[in-house]
Amino acid sequence: MAKEVIMPKFGFTQEDSQIVEWLVKEGDTVEAGDPLLEVTTDKVNMEVEAPASGILAGIRAVAGDTVPVTQIIAYILAPGEALPAYDAPPSAVSAPATTANAEETAPASPAGVGTTSVAARFAAAMGVDTSQVPGTGPGGRVTKQDIEDFLARQPQPSGKVRATPAARRIARETGLDLADVKGSGPRGRVQAHEAAAAATAMTAFPTAAPIATPIIESSAAASSRGELVRVPFTNMRRTIARTLQRSMQEAPHITFQADIDMTNLQALVARANELRPSDMETVTLTAALTRAVAWCLGRHPTINSHIGDDEMIIWPVANIGIAVALEDGLLVPVVKDAGAKGIGQLSDEIRDLSRRARQGKLRPDELADGTFSISNLGMMGIDRFTAIINPPQVAILAVGRTTRMYLPDDQDQPVVRPICTMTLSVDHRAIDGATAARFMADLRRVVQAPELMVL
Amino acid sequence: MRELTYAEALREALRQKMVADERIFLIGEDIGVYGGAFAVTAGLFKEFGAERVIDTPISEAAIAGACIGAALTGMLPVGEIQFMDFVTLSMEQLVLQAAKIRFMFGGKATVPMVLRMPGGSGTGAAAQHSESLENWFVHVPGLKVVMPSSPYDAKGLLISAIEDENPVIFVEHKLLYRTKGHVPEEMYRVPLSQANVVREGRDLTVVATSIMVSRALEAAERLAQEGIELEIIDPRTLNPLDEKPIVESVIKTGKALVVHEAVKTGGFGGELVSRIVESEAFDYLDAPVRRLAGLDIPIPYNRNLEYHAVPQIENIVEEARKLHQGAY
Amino acid sequence: MNDKPLYEALSAEDTARLLREIGPERSREMLQTMMLIRAFEERAQELFSLGRVHGTMHLSIGQEASAVGANFALTNHDYLLNTHRGHGHVLAWGSEVDLMMAEFLGREAGYCRGRGGSMHIADVSRNNLGANGIVGGGIPISVGVGLSIKSRKTDQVCLSVFGDGAANEGAFHESLNMASIWDLPIIYLCENNQYAMSMAVSHAFNIERISQRACAYNIVGVTIDGNDPLAVYQAVGEAKARAQAGNGPTLIEAITYRWKGHSKSDREAYRTRDEVKEWQQRDPIPHFARTLGLSQEEVAAMQAEVVSRIDAAVAFAEASPEPELSTILEGVYA
Repeated sequence: MAKEVIMPKFGFTQEDSQIVEWLVKEGDTVEAGDPLLEVTTDKVNMEVEAPASGILAGIRAVAGDTVPVTQIIAYILAPGEALPAYDAPPSAVSAPATTANAEETAPASPAGVGTTSVAARFAAAMGVDTSQVPGTGPGGRVTKQDIEDFLARQPQPSGKVRATPAARRIARETGLDLADVKGSGPRGRVQAHEAAAAATAMTAFPTAAPIATPIIESSAAASSRGELVRVPFTNMRRTIARTLQRSMQEAPHITFQADIDMTNLQALVARANELRPSDMETVTLTAALTRAVAWCLGRHPTINSHIGDDEMIIWPVANIGIAVALEDGLLVPVVKDAGAKGIGQLSDEIRDLSRRARQGKLRPDELADGTFSISNLGMMGIDRFTAIINPPQVAILAVGRTTRMYLPDDQDQPVVRPICTMTLSVDHRAIDGATAARFMADLRRVVQAPELMVL
Repeated sequence: MRELTYAEALREALRQKMVADERIFLIGEDIGVYGGAFAVTAGLFKEFGAERVIDTPISEAAIAGACIGAALTGMLPVGEIQFMDFVTLSMEQLVLQAAKIRFMFGGKATVPMVLRMPGGSGTGAAAQHSESLENWFVHVPGLKVVMPSSPYDAKGLLISAIEDENPVIFVEHKLLYRTKGHVPEEMYRVPLSQANVVREGRDLTVVATSIMVSRALEAAERLAQEGIELEIIDPRTLNPLDEKPIVESVIKTGKALVVHEAVKTGGFGGELVSRIVESEAFDYLDAPVRRLAGLDIPIPYNRNLEYHAVPQIENIVEEARKLHQGAY
Repeated sequence: MNDKPLYEALSAEDTARLLREIGPERSREMLQTMMLIRAFEERAQELFSLGRVHGTMHLSIGQEASAVGANFALTNHDYLLNTHRGHGHVLAWGSEVDLMMAEFLGREAGYCRGRGGSMHIADVSRNNLGANGIVGGGIPISVGVGLSIKSRKTDQVCLSVFGDGAANEGAFHESLNMASIWDLPIIYLCENNQYAMSMAVSHAFNIERISQRACAYNIVGVTIDGNDPLAVYQAVGEAKARAQAGNGPTLIEAITYRWKGHSKSDREAYRTRDEVKEWQQRDPIPHFARTLGLSQEEVAAMQAEVVSRIDAAVAFAEASPEPELSTILEGVYA
């Protein structure tokens, strides 16, 4: 039985992916799980894996094609098996061992009952899978007209990327593959700024050669002290600038600070590392704090939300973004459903995400669908700071360094405590001060009494 | 700053050149005592007399021929065709004689003449007195085609045209005659085949001719309030065209809009677009190059219909905005 | 055609007077120029038949007297605006047969560097302002030349040559009217060779003589024997004097006949062989040789000289290089 290879969906809002290249040729034998092809979404490149073992056949979309998610892009055949007849292209591609000609494998549609015979023959001739065609005939049967309408709706697989001449020039000069760039112009045309952004984005990662050479120029103002250096924005820089500017302009930020005693959380982490099995990686304080935040978000779901157009979208799970500083820029990979994971798993995930963020090897879904963010600059020696909300999220936690401070104990005797100042920024359009304050109070509670997390 | 109207600027150019060079004479219909249908030559008959300001019968072919024959034999004639529409009656002489004599004779003859004519609509003169036929002449090698858009250019370009050794079709605009602008008193020249970057801007290149230059400038002011900066280029001489500043501008902005009054089909805009697309600017284009031009109709009489037959300021604003926003 | 003659032939007395006026040497030169024109065009036809000519041509064989008579009445100080059937006028104007032949063969050494060809031969340095491919195309230009002469106050005149067909162009009317109102020093020579391509004069005009049109402009109009060089010489001479006296243009209609087709592609379906033969009986060259009283030997010697000049011209032309392709853009603008 032929196994369909479909274009997978990688993110909640993703509608299509563009094929970068096929890694396997038609007729090649593959094992289930082998990478078949590389695709790109708006953010990152992805590999599509073989859904079954067998022979790759019937490739229906080539490099450069943008394919809606869930659409069939190829088949995995058993040796000797022919392509489904309704899907045979005119050249009758089939697995090498077969002797059966596609035209001989009669008759047509698998959905025989739901398809008129005329439509079935027409669908076979046009290579249309009738199961994908909504039927409008009696009893929902698929008619020839339905197939014609379906064909008219299909994107033309020209294999060409729509791009302006300027975008093509930029691609030529930078070695950019325009197929990797999503165009926002009419009919998806890639425009110069999109090509330039994609080209400079390549440079944001250490693996790619730098494009943006600093331009050094003389200037009267700088002549005695050296020269002006102009570094064009990278794509990432531009994205950061745009996103954060929009956030500051649109979201009225209010901030809440709390000095939180880290003694018990530190002890928890230390104890965990002491007790961990030898095959486990170390547990981090960041992971513990992430878990604590997830616990709080569970109690304050309005903070675990997106702001929409005249609405709030409250998420059922806490997907927590961890800001990772890069050499030139910032990425916020997302730990999905952090509340359902243990501190050990969170440590592993955060470590892995951070490393791959720095290497530019994140998958698009790993950057998507965050519901809350944490930015920690404590290791840089910052005492406290405020962060800008990453829209459409409505809150972000800025974590400063933990310092040892004298505090009065119950008897007003000075004791030394590790204190960390945490600052919550919330979008006042969605979140009121009291809600934010309650969130921070809970955060203090759970950090100071981590055992609450098991409740 | 000294200000003159476009018509006064033209008159001053004619006068100053006639004083300086006896070979120059004017010839045309009603240019003498009447002073020209648009008063460009007013007063010159009185100053220079009937031999240098020659009123002709209604004979456009012979006016053109008279310029050619005189130019061939050592004179510097400046003819006037009362309305550009009437130049259709001179076409044989201009296209087959004036334009070709030099080449046809192996480069051994020169035809240093200027033929002035007002084109354009907006006066309610309807279909036979409102033509913009400049591109007919652009299509003829051997002719130069000049279209001043301001009083300053009108004077400077006319002086250059008179001094040029080739037949120059000098297309004025009826609605510009009364417009005022800075015009120095001295006999200055605006070189032929030198485009003018009228306004600098980063977002969109507008190439406009004749009256469309001032309309584009007004459109640019309005769009600037929206943060859209137009760069406006007036080719001034349509042929031979100075395409370098246009190409450079499009390389800078990545987007180009061509605006002229003449009907779109077969108009000069097509030539401009081709020059842009054929040039190195192609690789910098970030949107289709658009043309905004007269509708493909004769100019109607009715005021409202006439107004909408050719590009107006608001049309330029809208088209430039859409092009800038990536609507095409 | 009417039976009534269209023009009055020169009287014997007038002929004798004109020959005295011109002198024996120059009148022999007139004859030899007619022979040169004939030889040039016959050779042109031959070269064409041999496939050595790229373009077309319009032969004036049979009309040589008109070209010679008119141009000998003028000097190179005057101006010539020529017709497409203009080889005769160029040679009679005194231009170089070598450079003409080179132009005819499209060579760089030709009058127009091979850019003009047979139809556009000009010799601007000698005030020959060029032949014209457009019927009547030179007539409006004559107005400008006339204005120029008037403005510069010289004693020059402008000879504007055209055919019967051009007299029906609108530009003819515009131009003759202007020349008349301003008394311009122009001689309009209409070579009525009976056909505008295939259109017979008798069908194209509802007047007996084209020169009648002069009255519409209140200028002098005469119809003369275009096959008699002396008649043309006289008429043009009188017109020149009239022009120089400030009395404006003259319209001269020279009755003649085109022996050959309009151009090389003419099948001549519009006329009979007999008609052509009848006009060939009135060949102006032997007629003028008889008028000059030359012996057969003298004529043969002149003919031999003419032929050798044509031979030399062909040799010169063929030795001249074709225009360099790299120069193709030259001469469009000054």
